[in-house]
Amino acid sequence: MDCTEERTHLLDRRRGTLEGELRARVDSHLAECEACRREDAVDRALSLALHDRLPRRRAPQALRRSIERRIVGEPSRVSGSIRRTQMALFAAAAFVAAAAAAIVWWKPLGADPMLAEAVNDHLRIVYSDHPVEIESGGIHQVKPWFTGRLDFAPIVAFAGDEEFPLQGGAVAYFVDRKAATFIFKRHLHVITLLVFRSEGLPWPVLATHPLGGARAMLESSRGFQVLMWQKADLGYALVSDVDPADLQALAVKVAGGT
Amino acid sequence: MTRTAPHLTWALTPDSVAAKVRYPQMEKETVTLPRTALDHIDSLFRVARNLTGRDSDAEDLVQETYTRAIAAGAQFTAGTNLRAWLFRILRNAHIDIYRRARANPVDGGFEDEFAADTTTTASEPLRGDAELERLRGVVTTDIEAALASLGVDARAIILLDLEGFTETELAETLGCAVGTVKSRLARARSILRERLRDYRS
Repeated sequence: MDCTEERTHLLDRRRGTLEGELRARVDSHLAECEACRREDAVDRALSLALHDRLPRRRAPQALRRSIERRIVGEPSRVSGSIRRTQMALFAAAAFVAAAAAAIVWWKPLGADPMLAEAVNDHLRIVYSDHPVEIESGGIHQVKPWFTGRLDFAPIVAFAGDEEFPLQGGAVAYFVDRKAATFIFKRHLHVITLLVFRSEGLPWPVLATHPLGGARAMLESSRGFQVLMWQKADLGYALVSDVDPADLQALAVKVAGGT
Repeated sequence: MTRTAPHLTWALTPDSVAAKVRYPQMEKETVTLPRTALDHIDSLFRVARNLTGRDSDAEDLVQETYTRAIAAGAQFTAGTNLRAWLFRILRNAHIDIYRRARANPVDGGFEDEFAADTTTTASEPLRGDAELERLRGVVTTDIEAALASLGVDARAIILLDLEGFTETELAETLGCAVGTVKSRLARARSILRERLRDYRS
């Protein structure tokens, strides 16, 4: 049987844009043809891969502002290379200004940006329609899923238990880098564990809570508890609205294995 | 095909109402582009990024697109499809840049891949569950590399389809008949699947 004609309609059929007699004919063909059903499944997997794995990039703000200025009538005739040179000079000036400001306002516990980032990441998880990309069948199913999706191996030995069941995992961003995200539950509360490369981040100078050979910092922000620590070259952040004692109990389990 | 730059010609509708824009002679910039043109910048940047493979090149291509659009804004008809028009300009700008960079700028190549079609037909042996498993396991770098290996037209139609373009919009943007869009897209996706086998990490 030559199925070529039917196969050109499979995408439309999946998108719901195939109607009438043609839809009925393709449906009927699929019911009889195992080869086309398999072809449909493979093509659907391609669609999912394109949709889920291709980054949804956004235009840089500088580019947006530049074009917006031109659309509203402010002429700009700089070439890309000149524009980039200007941006580099501007960035350098901004960096110097920021560094000066940091010297003036620096305080020992300077981890506020990390605190805010951890809470924001947690909120993104909580409000997401699909918080987990890999449903948990246990830590030994979740951890291998990160292979190829991250440029480091997240070290988390705690597999979840009745007290803190592991829900699954996802890839997120922490500040400027990718993070492995593990989602645990405590009763009805969601607990997010972020694991990321630790170098180059403004870690707190005074982390006081001993934790499995490391020292952790416990802070609260916007009603959420955040527990952060470093071990080896990885950073960890646990975030939730659970009781701080619960968060520390989970941290001990997670860090115990690290 | 003879290189025609600095003149750029594009079709605003499938029926091809041609408009000519002098470019890049930069007279005083007269801005007539609707402000809503900015609504498409993220989408333009995403497609440009996947066409060029580099952030800086994508930024330049988007700048070039808006430069041409602003220069030709007076010829944009309100009520027609602004998005398809902008992407048509982006595609033409990319073609110009691409051909400028080639050693032999008069050679075609945009239709080459479609001509050397490797479309799956029902007569080919089944790939089976192995391909399904491979596709489920591909990562971002696999897809980006496989896309980059495609010809420009194949890449463009896949990326525009991903941006939610209708068949009519695809036809307007790519300058082909609406009736050929479906088969072109199917062929492009089929080639991408072939490439993903090779680029699977």
